Amino acid sequence: MTSLSSFTTEQVRELKRIKRRSWLMSYAMILPAILFLLAFVIYPTVSMFIMSLYYGNAMNPYKKFKGLANYNVRPDFWVALRNTAAYTGMALVLVMVLSILFAQWMYKSRKLNNVAQTVFFTPHLVAGVSAGFIWSWLMSSQPYGLFNTVFNALGFSTVRWLDDSSTAMFSIVLMNTWKNVGYYCLIIMSAMKSIPTEIYESARLDGSSSIKTFFKITIPMISPQLFFLLITITTGSFKVFDSVRIMTNGGPGDATRVLSMYIYDYAFERNNTLGYACAAGILMMLLMVAVTVFDFGFVEKKVHYQ
Amino acid sequence: MAEIVFEKVGKSFGSTKVIENLDLTIEDGKFTVLVGSSGCGKTTLLRMIAGIGPATSGRILMDGKDITHQPPEKRDIAMVFQNYAIYPTMSVRENIEFGLKNKKVPKEERDRRIAEYAEIVGMTPYLDRKPSDLSGGQRQRIALARAMVKKPSVFLMDEPLSNLDAKLRAAMRVELIELQRRLGTTFVYVTHDQIEAMSMADTIVLMEKGEIQQIGSPEEIYHEPANIFSAQFIGTPPMNVLPMEDGIRFGVRPESIDMEHQRVDGMALYRKGHIITREMLGAEMQYKVRLSDGTTIMVRSEENDRSDLQEDSDVWIMARASRIHFFDKDGKHIGHGGPDSLLAKLGGMNE
Repeated sequence: MTSLSSFTTEQVRELKRIKRRSWLMSYAMILPAILFLLAFVIYPTVSMFIMSLYYGNAMNPYKKFKGLANYNVRPDFWVALRNTAAYTGMALVLVMVLSILFAQWMYKSRKLNNVAQTVFFTPHLVAGVSAGFIWSWLMSSQPYGLFNTVFNALGFSTVRWLDDSSTAMFSIVLMNTWKNVGYYCLIIMSAMKSIPTEIYESARLDGSSSIKTFFKITIPMISPQLFFLLITITTGSFKVFDSVRIMTNGGPGDATRVLSMYIYDYAFERNNTLGYACAAGILMMLLMVAVTVFDFGFVEKKVHYQ
Repeated sequence: MAEIVFEKVGKSFGSTKVIENLDLTIEDGKFTVLVGSSGCGKTTLLRMIAGIGPATSGRILMDGKDITHQPPEKRDIAMVFQNYAIYPTMSVRENIEFGLKNKKVPKEERDRRIAEYAEIVGMTPYLDRKPSDLSGGQRQRIALARAMVKKPSVFLMDEPLSNLDAKLRAAMRVELIELQRRLGTTFVYVTHDQIEAMSMADTIVLMEKGEIQQIGSPEEIYHEPANIFSAQFIGTPPMNVLPMEDGIRFGVRPESIDMEHQRVDGMALYRKGHIITREMLGAEMQYKVRLSDGTTIMVRSEENDRSDLQEDSDVWIMARASRIHFFDKDGKHIGHGGPDSLLAKLGGMNE
């Protein structure tokens, strides 16, 4: 072992120079990322908070200081929040359950499954706006709506997917599930494939039924990926916008007016209400932080990491 | 307690036949070791007994009852896997308990048995730990306890020691032998390691390319090898096999050779040789010797203090008649120590 004292002063100075240079180098490497973070995340968040304290519009945000008055939210904020919660709840359950079921079905290597994987994944590549347009045609209650054409041919009555306030939100959830399930399914499937077959054989020898094996072995062993899904689907659903904007534009009535629609509405479609929109944006962010903290604090305890 | 009988059993994966027309009886209450190189079909046989890789033809009987198509949980067996197959999300206790719960064993009985077998394998202090906190040897013990707690009639073990380090492996070998003696249960143990097979087995089933080469006690396999494969599989280094006339070959184990500078009378085999390498193995010496016809043989000697037998020295290679095995042209064992007609043909005596 050589200690520092066995080097000459000149060598020590050289070593320190090398160390300083590598320190500078590492900061230079992450500088672009830090700049992006500052410019596109930190700065907008801070300025959004400042705008939320003012009365104004997009052209002139700082007309008059109002303090925290914008945080005294209007009743329609609660409607938007409830709609968002409903959307998130439905999307979470539907996407989670379907991706687990499809993954369980597809994870064995069969020719059919390779085709099925592609079929499930392709919608994920379609742009949200295009998907929204296609599905609003499919779900239309006009004579050209494909779903209703099939329903009528089979003798069922017309379903007013997007035109009925009781079904509109679920219809949007359905479209987004179709779009996203293949991606999440792929994540679950690769987790399932990493479970050694001996564990399943051992469970069979232990007399475990396939349902019990699924709940006692498969689900706990893919729990890290399920937790990842929980976080990404929750935060993703909270921010849902494009599909709602295209398919219902918040209607019928206020049935599908989610938080991001509310923010868009107050920021750009009305005059001098930018402060409300920014306050709602800040509240939405805090809510997402709270939900994520809850997930990490309570739900993550049940997650089994290898 | 159970006897297992294979009747004309075959197994193919797709169009590849791994095992064909195999007959085998595994005796009740004995420690049977299936040994062979990888791909010889030993694990396939074990999985057939377990019911997780069913036979494609023939029948498997357990105590006279046909179990060929019985699901694994209906068979009275337990299995220990090479990678242990511990349930990583369950605690040690839950791992051991899982099979009992599925069998609907009442709670008090479960607790009693878990305590008993955790004690046997020395895992009592770790019952509430997760497997990820434990060492390889400890996981191995969980796998053993999980198998034992079911009180099966047959224990199946698929290379259970191969993931352990050498020291632990030797210790576990002794423990497994003791365990089998104590439980008196049928053990079927798969390994590729001849030392494990020799040291643990009551009966060794030696396999190669899906066929059984020899069945016998370790003594029989060592002293009466059925063929050249069997003779060379057991023993390190393997038996020296040298050609004679008419395709007949003779074999002599490295440890059965006497090596001296002077010819010693009363031996059956004499050859002149030249020591190429000399290895000191501690208790023993191992030599590589080139014979005058150019072939090389291995010699092993317990005389570990012979400073006169150095590399590059000329020696006499000799062996007693009783130590010499003869094999016919198909590699089948003819006998050892005779017949005299073959002993006389060994040649080289008057070199």
